[in-house]
Amino acid sequence: MKTIIGTYGTAIAGAAIIIFFVLFAPRFASGPNIVNVLKDTSFLAILALGFTLALIVSELDLSIAEVSSLSAVICGALVHGGTSPAVAVAVALLVGVAAGAFNGVGVTRLRIPSLIMTLGTAAIAKGLGFMITQGVGFVGRWPSSFTGLSRGDLGGVPYLVIWMAIAGAAAYLLVNWTRTGAHMVATGEAVEAARLAGVATARMKLLGLTLSGGLGGVTAVLLAANLSSAAPNMVGDYFLYAIAAVLLGMTMFKPGHANVLGTLYAALVLKVLGNGLVLMGAPYYWQDMILGLIIIASVAFSASVLKKVAFTV
Amino acid sequence: MTGEPKPALLSLGGVGKLYGGVVALRDVDFEVREGDVLALCGDNGAGKSTLVKIISGAEAPSSGELRLKGERVSFASPHDALMKGVATIYQDLALAPRLSIWENVFMGAELRRGGPLKLLDKRRMAAEARRYLERLSVRIDDMNRPVEGLSGGQRQAVAISRALLWNADVIVMDEPTAALGVKETAQVLDLIHRLKAEGKTIVLISHSMADVVSVATRVVILKAGGKVADRPIEGLTPNDLRQMIMNDPVLA
Repeated sequence: MKTIIGTYGTAIAGAAIIIFFVLFAPRFASGPNIVNVLKDTSFLAILALGFTLALIVSELDLSIAEVSSLSAVICGALVHGGTSPAVAVAVALLVGVAAGAFNGVGVTRLRIPSLIMTLGTAAIAKGLGFMITQGVGFVGRWPSSFTGLSRGDLGGVPYLVIWMAIAGAAAYLLVNWTRTGAHMVATGEAVEAARLAGVATARMKLLGLTLSGGLGGVTAVLLAANLSSAAPNMVGDYFLYAIAAVLLGMTMFKPGHANVLGTLYAALVLKVLGNGLVLMGAPYYWQDMILGLIIIASVAFSASVLKKVAFTV
Repeated sequence: MTGEPKPALLSLGGVGKLYGGVVALRDVDFEVREGDVLALCGDNGAGKSTLVKIISGAEAPSSGELRLKGERVSFASPHDALMKGVATIYQDLALAPRLSIWENVFMGAELRRGGPLKLLDKRRMAAEARRYLERLSVRIDDMNRPVEGLSGGQRQAVAISRALLWNADVIVMDEPTAALGVKETAQVLDLIHRLKAEGKTIVLISHSMADVVSVATRVVILKAGGKVADRPIEGLTPNDLRQMIMNDPVLA
């Protein structure tokens, strides 16, 4: 019984939150609102998957939101300027991957703690975003071949949810069922032991941070396509949500370990919570306060590696 | 061929190590033969740790040579040493405490299934981890248990299983009983006896003279970076060993 509560306690609490809003939040259970929550969950979940993969190799990626914003702005600038959407998307993903690799190189080669390295990258990405846009976003009637990435559905299932499912399944497979994933986990859990066992630990850290940046790029493309616009700091609102999702996710399924299922489920719970609170008339600033509490409580609950990571600066 | 001594599996010739201007090890040579349990003894600062680092591949000697099965070798890293046949089980065991038994045993050598995706074969890894542990007479029901929940003796067995998995020629055990209680120490000594019975070759670093007398076949004693004794353990008591470590090598 104790292990069930330890493993699924917060997951059950999350289910209770969802049920609560379904029953009591006005219009929460309506079709359009559910689609809306699921779409918003998709952006959050994909971004948070990146943070999860970085945390699995025991590194923090505080640059996810700013890198993603930069990626969106570059994508938007290209699409807005008439570049083929395929090229724009490829460049956007590349920007995310490159920023992630930049973090990875700083951490593994220059031995800069990821807390500092990614904070620096975040500031650089933010500055670049403003430089490119001069502070004004790109908005326009963009080609449907681009916006169609996020809009529309397949048999009632929004494309965004399908993208989330694909990203989630790929991350889950990688982490839990591949040798590379096992090496990432070993690196994150005990870097010295992994190195002695022949695991290429620096490469695993580089990979975790690069994938984190890459998923920031994916989030950027989907957000820009959905909104048909791109502005600096447009992913900023997802930052605390993403961290909260990963940390809350660490309290469930595999307590104490950043894990893909936990992140996905926690992302849904948090977005339901945010949406439900708004529908029930709670002031918007409650959300930040609640996220803060969830972040603190999650780490306290799971006595997580995050404490270790954050304090090894 | 009968009657000839077995060739040295691992031999050190004139090995020295300098740290800056400080001599940590001078002109040490000894041989480890197949089936030996060679105990490396000496007081703190005698050079044991330095010697272990050299044998395990963590550090290169400043002078002298290592030979493995007669071939001159140099180890670029502990992993390189492992690949060449010398597995070191460190004092802190180098396990990932929160990962499962099988994940620890197979770390860096994960088994995969066939097919295009080459997914991990978790079931086989769990089953084989169990077999390795049973070979060491350690029975644990659930191979998914994190090693942090195991006893010191069981953890040592997990670390040894990894060395067995790599099919190491020489297993170096650095203070395997240092942090253990009486009962667990007995378990670990039992593990060493089992390895010995399997014909495994072991280099044992220990402060416990009782342990050394109980399991070793030979003893090498270091003092101030040099070798002061190298002989079979037969006929020696723990007290003799203590005398040899502290005093001039009257018995050597």
